[in-house]
Amino acid sequence: MTTASDLITIKGNWSFDYTYFAGETASRFFKELREHKRVMGTRCPSCERVLVPARAFCDACFCRTGDWVEVGPQGVLETFTVITAAFPGLPEPPVVLAYATLDGADTALVNLITGLDASDVAGTAERLMAQPRVELRFIDEPQGRITDFSFEIVQG
Amino acid sequence: MHGASGRRSDPVGRARSECEQSIGEGMRSRALLQGRGGVTGERPGVYVHGTALEITWRDATRNLGELIFDVVDGAVRDSGIGMQSVDSVVLAAHDLVDGRSLSSMVTAPAAGAYLRDEIRFGDDSAGAFAAAVTRLEAGHARCSIVAGWGRSSEHDPDRVSQALFDPFWQRPLGMRELDVSALRAQAWRLRHPGSSGWDDVVAASDSRATRARANPRAVSHGGHVADVPPLMPAGSMPVLADVVVAVVLSTEPSPIRVAGLGLSSEPYLVGDRDLVAMPALRTAARLALAEAGASAEQLDVVELDGLTLLDEAISLEAVGRAAPGQGLARLSADDAVNASGGGAAGYCAPAMGLTRIVEAALRLGPGGSGAQRAMATGSSVVGGQTQTAVVLEAA
Amino acid sequence: MSTRVGILGVGQTSYRRHHADKSSAELIFEAVEAALRDADVDVADVDVVLAGVAPDALAGENSVERTAMIGAGKPLLRINTGGVTGSSTAFAGASYVASGRARIALVFALERMGQATTSQQVFNTIFDPVYEKDFPLTTITMAALRASMLMRMYGYTERHWASIASRNYRNALRNPLAHIHRDLSPEDILASPLLAWPIHRFEACPMSEGAVALVLASEDVIGDRDAAWMQGFASRSDAYAMGDRFHRPEGTLVDLLSLQLAAKQAYADAGIDDPRRQLDVVELYSPFSSAEAMTYPALGLTEAHDGPAFVEAQEVDLSLPRFNPSGGPQAANPVSATAMVRIAECALQVLERAGDRQVEDVRRAVATGQGGATQFSTLCVLGSDRPE
Repeated sequence: MTTASDLITIKGNWSFDYTYFAGETASRFFKELREHKRVMGTRCPSCERVLVPARAFCDACFCRTGDWVEVGPQGVLETFTVITAAFPGLPEPPVVLAYATLDGADTALVNLITGLDASDVAGTAERLMAQPRVELRFIDEPQGRITDFSFEIVQG
Repeated sequence: MHGASGRRSDPVGRARSECEQSIGEGMRSRALLQGRGGVTGERPGVYVHGTALEITWRDATRNLGELIFDVVDGAVRDSGIGMQSVDSVVLAAHDLVDGRSLSSMVTAPAAGAYLRDEIRFGDDSAGAFAAAVTRLEAGHARCSIVAGWGRSSEHDPDRVSQALFDPFWQRPLGMRELDVSALRAQAWRLRHPGSSGWDDVVAASDSRATRARANPRAVSHGGHVADVPPLMPAGSMPVLADVVVAVVLSTEPSPIRVAGLGLSSEPYLVGDRDLVAMPALRTAARLALAEAGASAEQLDVVELDGLTLLDEAISLEAVGRAAPGQGLARLSADDAVNASGGGAAGYCAPAMGLTRIVEAALRLGPGGSGAQRAMATGSSVVGGQTQTAVVLEAA
Repeated sequence: MSTRVGILGVGQTSYRRHHADKSSAELIFEAVEAALRDADVDVADVDVVLAGVAPDALAGENSVERTAMIGAGKPLLRINTGGVTGSSTAFAGASYVASGRARIALVFALERMGQATTSQQVFNTIFDPVYEKDFPLTTITMAALRASMLMRMYGYTERHWASIASRNYRNALRNPLAHIHRDLSPEDILASPLLAWPIHRFEACPMSEGAVALVLASEDVIGDRDAAWMQGFASRSDAYAMGDRFHRPEGTLVDLLSLQLAAKQAYADAGIDDPRRQLDVVELYSPFSSAEAMTYPALGLTEAHDGPAFVEAQEVDLSLPRFNPSGGPQAANPVSATAMVRIAECALQVLERAGDRQVEDVRRAVATGQGGATQFSTLCVLGSDRPE
């Protein structure tokens, strides 16, 4: 008969290394962040939506996209959450995560909302439920990563 | 307010009305199918309408989704059927190969899944092909994309393959897929002492490389040839590459018909199996050939999936196209077998079964080399534990 | 040749944080053995096996489904569609039977996340490594983004989320297989720690492991036997990026278009045109209580703006369908299996084998599935009547 102390467990670690190819389109999107501090989308020639971040193809129409379009610097806050619990490998709470549709874009983009004190969670939630306008805030030395910018509430 | 000025077409609205139209048509075709006699076991035929295959290496201009889009788009264009008639997307991909959990979130839309019925199988793509066939035969879809892929350049196949082995009995010994192939090769040599031996390997490897060079779809530059495990002959390794493949199937007639399907499986633990006899492949091929009413010798085209040259050769024996011990010799001598170059043209699981199907389909009928009947096989992970055989006929 | 398909038997292990006494293969075996026994079917008569296992990283075993072969030499296919894995697998089995290539299909789904140390790190990897992995996108924050939007658009409050969760826990008390057996009031739930506003800890699902299996059979095999007939089933996949689903004429992110479309097809096949009246039981794949709010309008049970009133009505209006008599994913969420568990629980209700959690007079039940960031939706209608 096997008792609980007889039950064997084996420790294991699951970690794999990858090299992800971002492709030309994403590479150019990041280059635009790094060199020009601007967010770009691409336009689908069929439905004419401007897709942000820039994509090589429109999945709804199933065709390649065409023109590159700059969007922002302001936009509409679509939804948000205030993260209060810590997760391993992720930023220290409180962190405000949000989707915003930049002016000129047809799709919303995810990023953090910075420049506000989110420790008063209820107060922050109430403020953001009013859907204030947001604007892009770039870091001083962009690296060509999605973290080169964040959203900030437009004052006034 | 958002985006462009002027009129925009409405992709969601269009997709919805297509969906509604397809529901209506689907219901009508289901009613039609139910009206047919179930007693005789008549199934509607399933036909291949379009194919596309791209084998590349480290193409940094395209991310995985973009590669998939290009190939699926290519297959749809090849079919001449508009995307609006597609009502099913059946995929084969593996999270650990793609490098993210639930990789189909990002890849399914690239394969045309937007607002469609989509399903992703997690093993060899010939199995996904078989599942797609059942969907069409059941009247659950009328026109299906089937696609599979894997980019060897993005992941480490050895590390991923080690994780396939259970943590208790096999992984602690450092087993990988290549090791199962090596064990199979040695077992085959032991079973046929004094038979062909490794001399035939040189001939088989040379003819495979020649065929791959002649194949316009083979990887044209780059690719990675892994180090040969000890005791395995040189020239037996696959050429690891980035493989993306797609077909379009429908119950509407076309020049290529699916004439037979067979699937089978073996025990998980390698020690429980007869590595040389390959009973899963033996059974799968037998079932597919029986349904098609043909024997292995009657096939004009044979495309066999296998990780190494030895797997391909031993598979040839299992499907009944070579006598026991003669697999290697027959592989180099028989131009109908793996004319594509097999694993030497480019390899990445789980894309290979569908790749073999496409290579077979391309050789059928007036568009190909005039061949009448082909069989393609797909081999799953853990040393080919499950096998799929597909027989195609020029209709 | 499209034959009708029904479920003859159901097997489930219990769902808990760890099944320390079972290997993955043994969990599968337990569920499969129970399903075969419930169906009175011998393993030799199974023609095909389909296995649902979602992210391998949760089990730490790559392709774990093939460690437990069912019988010898049968076809085996593995499906991985994330949260809808369990239902995709059942549907693929149904297609196999409906095609005539199998008379009996055995489908199972295994969740082995008891072997994982943390699931959130794994779930973070489902997002795009190029654009999104740097952000705290997790299943919890995904749900929170939707919950805050539902509150802004339709007037839901934190109290609604808590009362939905409370109902699920209460129902689970009658389900011996459920992971969580706690009678939590809405106040208890609102007092639990906030994870990501507005989601409280007790509104989220547990990490559960376990296995479920179904025996699917053709109408010829079923004959006059009781079966839970698959009267209609459908699956729809949406765009990947959540951001792409805000500005569409059909509705925004929280209007759950993929579930709407799946329901439309499945209802059409099943002959349902008045779901509020025609459905007796609904098992929802909503791992967060707030996520249920997106399903009610998508299933045609209420208008979106009446959602809050619909939640309040559930407590008093007995003519409404019964939601999650099993306790739903709040009480047990074995991710790879959860969508099949919903189908299994509906089958048990239709077959009148649901024990203490049996709802009276169930003729039709609906099970939903949800995968990705509400990207994949499935819907299955089960009924006691053979389809026409």
